[in-house]
Amino acid sequence: MTTRRILASAAIALGVALSAGLASAPLASAQTLTVGVRGGPESLDPHFSALGSHAEAAKHIYDTLVWSGDDLQIEPGLATSWKPLDDTTWEFKLREGVKFHDGSDFDAEDVKFSIERIPLVSGPTTTTIYVRRVATVEIVDPHTIHIKTDGPAATLPYDFVRLFIVSSDAAKDYSTPETAAAGFNGGPAAVGTGPYKLVSWEPKGDLVLERFDGYWRGKGPWAKVIRKEMPNDSSRLAALKAGQVDLINYVSSIDYLALQRDPSIDAVVGDSVYIMNLQLDQRVDTPLVRAKDGSKLDKNPLRNPKVREAIDLAIDRQSMVDIVLEGLGKPANQMMPPGFFGSSDAIPAREYDPEQARKLLAEAGYSDGFEIDLYCTSDRLPGDGAICQGLGQMFTQVGIKTNVNAVSKTVYFPAQARLEYSVFMNGWGTLTGEASYTLGALAHSNDPDVKLGAFNRIEYKNETVDQLLEDGAKTLEAEPRRKLYEQAMVETMADRAYIPVVQLQTVWGSKANSVTFQPRFDEDTLAFFIKPKS
Amino acid sequence: MLGFIIQRLLQASVVMAVMSVIVFVGVYAIGNPIEIVIPPDAPQDIRAETIRRFGLDLPLWQQYFIFLSNLVQGDFGRSFIYNMPVLDLIAGRLPATLELVMISILTATVGGVSLGVYAGYRPDSWLSRLIMALSVLGFSVPSFWVGLILILTFAVNLGWLPAGSRGEVVTVFGVGWSFLTLNGLSHILLPALNLAFFKLAMMIRLARAGTREVMLTDTIKFARAAGISEGRILRRHVLKLIAIPIITVFGLELGSTLAFAVVTETIFSWPGVGKLIIDSITVLDRPVMVAYLILTALLFVLINLTVDLVYAVIDPRMRARGA
Repeated sequence: MTTRRILASAAIALGVALSAGLASAPLASAQTLTVGVRGGPESLDPHFSALGSHAEAAKHIYDTLVWSGDDLQIEPGLATSWKPLDDTTWEFKLREGVKFHDGSDFDAEDVKFSIERIPLVSGPTTTTIYVRRVATVEIVDPHTIHIKTDGPAATLPYDFVRLFIVSSDAAKDYSTPETAAAGFNGGPAAVGTGPYKLVSWEPKGDLVLERFDGYWRGKGPWAKVIRKEMPNDSSRLAALKAGQVDLINYVSSIDYLALQRDPSIDAVVGDSVYIMNLQLDQRVDTPLVRAKDGSKLDKNPLRNPKVREAIDLAIDRQSMVDIVLEGLGKPANQMMPPGFFGSSDAIPAREYDPEQARKLLAEAGYSDGFEIDLYCTSDRLPGDGAICQGLGQMFTQVGIKTNVNAVSKTVYFPAQARLEYSVFMNGWGTLTGEASYTLGALAHSNDPDVKLGAFNRIEYKNETVDQLLEDGAKTLEAEPRRKLYEQAMVETMADRAYIPVVQLQTVWGSKANSVTFQPRFDEDTLAFFIKPKS
Repeated sequence: MLGFIIQRLLQASVVMAVMSVIVFVGVYAIGNPIEIVIPPDAPQDIRAETIRRFGLDLPLWQQYFIFLSNLVQGDFGRSFIYNMPVLDLIAGRLPATLELVMISILTATVGGVSLGVYAGYRPDSWLSRLIMALSVLGFSVPSFWVGLILILTFAVNLGWLPAGSRGEVVTVFGVGWSFLTLNGLSHILLPALNLAFFKLAMMIRLARAGTREVMLTDTIKFARAAGISEGRILRRHVLKLIAIPIITVFGLELGSTLAFAVVTETIFSWPGVGKLIIDSITVLDRPVMVAYLILTALLFVLINLTVDLVYAVIDPRMRARGA
């Protein structure tokens, strides 16, 4: 993708030129919020895709059963409370007096309908993960449901943070793969309980919304919201500068530098849920590690704890943040941001000590080092390709000759799934704010019988961690479960097969003194929570 | 003539078949699209079930065969990503690209040929030199850069025109067009100019070279001797004589601009088909890629066919040969 690289350098030129700055136009109209977003929904059927930008758009029109707050910890949504009744039954109490956009009442029938609809209409970014533990749904009364699970399902409320509730009447005839798009994209079925009503949408184009005055949280601050899809970072910024949009998400780190000197634009920095995660293949025979002369090594050095520690010590996380990410990040010491359910306070900050790294390599019998091919995504998250190059230099400095390959995600993920890589890095976001999402998929050994470890592509296996995670999944009480996950996190981090590098941050840009909002960990830009600055 | 057309259409179907195989094999070689789009917390059984649901567990030849048998019934399949019939998806975005490309190509051709003929007619005047210098610039400056500079100047600094995206549309014959509204026109101006820039330069150079050559021929000498006015010579004779290469280039450029206006569409957030294909490639949305490239092949064949037919109208020698 040379075009991409060229565009990036053009962005620098543009950014520098823009920073000269001009008087900003006032908000297009105080009643309308126009947002320039990098990505939008793939359909207006909320059950079609689990993609982040899809759920973000859906949250304007629909509500979820359980709400995930700004810090991704769970809060009441359409359900006011929930509790496990026994090992395989959860009771959810539903909010009363909630209206759909068409004036009808929300009740248990809609919840049951929505849960059962998901497997019928889900696309390839499959939403069935939200209801994978659900065996049956029983309606007790119009505002109480019992959900039977296929076993003890401790994390069920977390699964439901993206369970969008549609109207069982309006969507009744639009619940097959063939009819769903027509019903929802066109309008008649796109009826939710959310803060905004659908006016119009076209794929990759504008999503136009109008305030729903009967919203249960209260009236939203904007009468009309337009979300314009502008995937190119420079174009999105130019639209903000030109006064075409009031707010944009994902300002690039290069433009962020220039924006700081520009009085006409406010920049808001928020912590992201994404952590760059280096992964070291633990197979006995790994394909892309060799001696410096190209000959095959008799053992996979990545299986040696000293080598893994050396790799960890070789990473200068602070320089990575300051130089590569222009300050938009934080050094990471575990696979989830602090404060998440299952993040441990007991894990110390990672150190940078190249001397010690060289010593450990020598002790492990690699005083001459060895050679690795490092693979990373280059187009998925801000800075991923640059971090990859930084890692390559740092490893080479301690004697591990590193060939850096920052490739498109289109190439990276299928190859990673075919287990073709030895040392690789990509971002991982704990979107539920809860450890079973991350550790369950990565740190448990890949075991289809217990449905854990599906993303463990390095054959990492630690019996203690496996046991802790299996126990955690069955422990319905929150506090004991938190302890189990914290312990699993400590154990996994000590093994250093997964090495967290940096936590990313994201930047929003808005016209100076126009709006105020709290950045969310999951990077969602939700119009209802954005307030005009008066 | 009819045989000629039939032969061309047969060639077209071969090209299209080969195209579909290449795209199928190419996407298959990159890997399973599901790996890119599946949520990271999907356990093994859900992953397997999703792959099966989209028929991606079948051997390649079988997937291709299913695609072909649907195609014969006029069904290009549904996009993995948008869950919409591919043809609807493409048709929904085609008008945006069509109006953008038409406006820019017409601007480029009318403007380019006029300037080029002038530059060829008076090669030594300072205006001609200025035109030629501009055309060198048009050739050598990359169009994404021109696009960004246009945005910077007219949208950000002067604030006269919007920085991107499509304006208001009015529906005519069931299709939404934006060039019929004032707001729509203001949106289309910058991207059309950006897209026209390179083509304008090319048209100028073609027209100038043709004109210089033709002006030295006996035809023009005799026309002058016959006392025909210079304006009439340029309009009636020179234009006709330089038309063949210009029409060829016009056709090719029309095709490639329609199919690949990607850079301009990206920079100006223009919701056209060029953006669609790039987005589809980044998520390996194979049904869209296959359908799009097949239709592009068809488009090129049709344009070339039209160009050949136009030759016959303009140049009697071709008519005699083709019959």
